[in-house]
Amino acid sequence: MKNLSELMIDLAYSAALFNSRVLAEEVLELEKRVDTLAYLLDMIAMLAVRRAEDAEDLVGISMVAAAADKISDAAADITALVLRGIGVHPILREAFKGMEEMLTRVEFKPTSILIGKKLGELELAARIGVDIIAIHRGEKWIVNPSHDEVMVENDVLIARGASIGVKKLEGLADGTLKEFE
Amino acid sequence: MPPIGKTFKKIADKLVLLKDTSELMIDLAYSSLLFNSQELAEEVHVLEELVDKLHTEFELLVLSSGFKPEESKDFLGLIRLGVVTEKIADAAAEIAGVVLRGLGTHPVLRLVIEEAEETVTQARVSEKSLLVRKTLRDAKIPEETGMWVLALRRGKNWLRPKPETVIEAGDALIASGYAEGVKDLKRLASGSPSKQSRLAL
Repeated sequence: MKNLSELMIDLAYSAALFNSRVLAEEVLELEKRVDTLAYLLDMIAMLAVRRAEDAEDLVGISMVAAAADKISDAAADITALVLRGIGVHPILREAFKGMEEMLTRVEFKPTSILIGKKLGELELAARIGVDIIAIHRGEKWIVNPSHDEVMVENDVLIARGASIGVKKLEGLADGTLKEFE
Repeated sequence: MPPIGKTFKKIADKLVLLKDTSELMIDLAYSSLLFNSQELAEEVHVLEELVDKLHTEFELLVLSSGFKPEESKDFLGLIRLGVVTEKIADAAAEIAGVVLRGLGTHPVLRLVIEEAEETVTQARVSEKSLLVRKTLRDAKIPEETGMWVLALRRGKNWLRPKPETVIEAGDALIASGYAEGVKDLKRLASGSPSKQSRLAL
């Protein structure tokens, strides 16, 4: 739940920033999953309680789960801006340029050295501090891609990281940068 | 791109601050659970009050910006985003509340955080470390290790990391990032050699 709710925030801001309905709908799908998980967790916690001490132990878990659920609700609220056509002022884009960690959308050119490589072997998070949130491949969205995902040309990546890392990723993706350092 | 006026700039800056603070709070709140740290949890509550204050200032700025009727949708969007950051800050405060009430010691909770893809870790800076007497900006910790410094503990004090913060020997760095970065961070902080060469492709 912790992973899902944090991923959702990034996805939701991306949806607003790039004005993408598909991405917004993806967030709502995830929101449903977090809701279901929250129910399941509460049920398991209730079943696990036999003594007063158990209840004391487990109430912490259920409170944390409720908070994670609240965060995912907040993410869903962001997507409502896209889905209801309210939109956001262009200064949002300006604001996002000033973030400590920024969101970016990069397209993979055929000349990129990353093509044909698995996300796991690229270790983008460890090397340049960039976190891949989703891949847009043809008509398909791959949210929170696994380590085994192989990069294909024309993939579009939604990623998050500090500005230096993001610039490196952009260079690597469009083929102007041929190595990490 | 329309010209960005002074008021717009102010609104944008405030929103950036709100978003960054609310997300820092989530990280700190989960860290407080992991270390069962009352101090970190209290820090989250202090930040929560700050976000409340910032949020009110943000809304006042938007409302007094004198937008035209046809722009009202755009500005509604901004107001809603502000509300979201506030909601996230509240959720973080609730997580910290679990620690403050002494309910955060259940082993399952620690398991959840350590198994999550992004993890939180603590590394002590030794006298031999290259980081000593460097500013966070020059230390380039995210670039070197993929770990993001959330907070510094110096003696009994918690410092919020700023680019110009100077790292001292004995500081404890609380950082979040992928599990792979933990070793790199600990090596960097302890001052063991051979970290540069590994980073080239």
